[in-house]
Amino acid sequence: MREYLIHRLLLLIPTIIGVTLVVFLMMRYIPGDPVTNMLGENYSEEDARQLRHELGLDQPLAVQYGKWLLFLLRGDWGRSMLTNRPVLTDVLYRLPVSLELIILSLLLSLLIALPAGIIAAVWPNSWKDYSAMLISMAGVSIPEFFLGVLLFLLFALVLRWLPVSGYTPLLDNPAGNLWHMVLPTITLGFPRAALLTRLVRASLLEVLRLEFVTTARAKGLGENPVVLRHALKNALIPTVTVAGLQVGFLIGGAIVVETVFAVPGIGSFGVDAIIKRDYPQVQAFVLVGALIFVSANLLVDVLYAVIDPRIHYSKKDA
Amino acid sequence: MNTAISAEQGLLVPSAVAKGKSLRGLAWRQLLRKRTAVLGMSIIVVLVLTAIFADVIAPYGPTEIFSQDTMSPPSWTHPMGTDLLGRDVLSRVIYGSRVSLYVGVFALVPAILLGVPLGIIAGFYGGPLDNLIMRIMDIILAFPIFLLAIVIMVMLEPNTTNVVIALGIVRIPIYARIVRGSVLSVKELEYVEAAKALAVRDPRLLARHVLPNCMAPIIVTSTLSVGVSIIVEASLSFLGLGTQPPTPSWGWDLKANMILLEINPWITIFPGLAIFFTVLAFNLFGDGLRDALDPRLKQ
Repeated sequence: MREYLIHRLLLLIPTIIGVTLVVFLMMRYIPGDPVTNMLGENYSEEDARQLRHELGLDQPLAVQYGKWLLFLLRGDWGRSMLTNRPVLTDVLYRLPVSLELIILSLLLSLLIALPAGIIAAVWPNSWKDYSAMLISMAGVSIPEFFLGVLLFLLFALVLRWLPVSGYTPLLDNPAGNLWHMVLPTITLGFPRAALLTRLVRASLLEVLRLEFVTTARAKGLGENPVVLRHALKNALIPTVTVAGLQVGFLIGGAIVVETVFAVPGIGSFGVDAIIKRDYPQVQAFVLVGALIFVSANLLVDVLYAVIDPRIHYSKKDA
Repeated sequence: MNTAISAEQGLLVPSAVAKGKSLRGLAWRQLLRKRTAVLGMSIIVVLVLTAIFADVIAPYGPTEIFSQDTMSPPSWTHPMGTDLLGRDVLSRVIYGSRVSLYVGVFALVPAILLGVPLGIIAGFYGGPLDNLIMRIMDIILAFPIFLLAIVIMVMLEPNTTNVVIALGIVRIPIYARIVRGSVLSVKELEYVEAAKALAVRDPRLLARHVLPNCMAPIIVTSTLSVGVSIIVEASLSFLGLGTQPPTPSWGWDLKANMILLEINPWITIFPGLAIFFTVLAFNLFGDGLRDALDPRLKQ
């Protein structure tokens, strides 16, 4: 286990190098030359060469990448081209908001998917199964922003049960914060719940056919402990993997949901930055998004090893 | 060359053809027995016809403006109402199907053209080449799909064709992985061994004998991918990073009409329903295909 953890952490290094390299290259190949943009219309070749030298843009790409990486590690993420505020400050303010949304949505999706998937698998081809499958088929087919708009229309505009917009920081007013997060969480969590329900059902059905389940039943165990204690544990393994992969979709979905509900997270920050072409902010947004994803994958891999002691990790993971 | 082919055919093809026919027939019958899959297929047929004959079906042009009749609710003259500029929403929804289907289908092209050969090469030859290809794929996969699509849209400029390119690139590793996995199991089968013993050259062996046996997961993934692509295109357009006006796109229209949500919710709901039913259709069809093509998954 310890060896596996160390191996997995070491693997993180090439991944992070890859991710930062992609972000760096993205910033280098954005249309438009930063030097001519900075100099305006009247400039001589000499001025341009001078500025290029000052910015270090005349150095080899590898050197530029190394310097850039060093600045990132030192916490110098640049300043916004529009507000001149340090980008890292904004990121650190908005990151917890997005993390809260993502975690709440993941919890909600598991809270729905586990019971729904178990019920569907225990009574396959019953009306319970069919309704669970029907709802989850609809759930995987609806885009987040449309679901968000529908929920917003129903609960905020027609019934007026929930706030139309606005945001309260979690630490100032936890209850008010959660109140504002209800609609965004449902919007982001429901499509994930739909997908996980299908998965829990499929893997539980598969496990329930295995011999050890028959043995447990033959021992005289009741149906509840057979399903919940014996079968479910095994069915959860693929569920954890997919739930982990879902974090990628949750990050993508958060970008959309934050925009729909004006939640001040990292996603709405990123979209805003892209539309205004504020490149230092865009860079921070992409970097943070990818890093959340990479860390979530690491967490899932570790969780995986904890849940399933049978899995023996060798150095070759392909 | 002719003799080589006939020798090969004599040994391998008859059984392959017989097997292929019955399998395909079986899968087809399986598919037709599943009502949800047939429903999905029917919706897809209607959609394709709508996109092709949009000019004939749509009551008005997608950018035609009725300045006397803005923001109207559904009526006989405008069954889905009109938007802020007074454009007929039904006509825009009908024309919008073109963008969605175009992105859904054409985003598969770069993904398949690059992903499938990479997966075959990695799986068949193994070794350092496999390692190199799959590590590059891992880097692409280190980004969430939607984020990567956004990155590509930042580097290119937001328009429909670039959405197709972005989605195509993002999918390459997915195909490479699936195909590699299938090739790894297929290449150990005896008939491949037999073909090798007959001195069938690698390119021919891969294209004629290995690839056909990897088709099932490729077909299923592609069908389900269309739905995902349509959602991503709509989401990007919703954020202003995809299809640009005046081209009618469901995602952009939904966003543009959202400011009128309190006054006239219909013109927001209809483009949303169009996306929903389109994606639903591809998911139902894809699900049915998977059950029909992969007997192991059947319950």
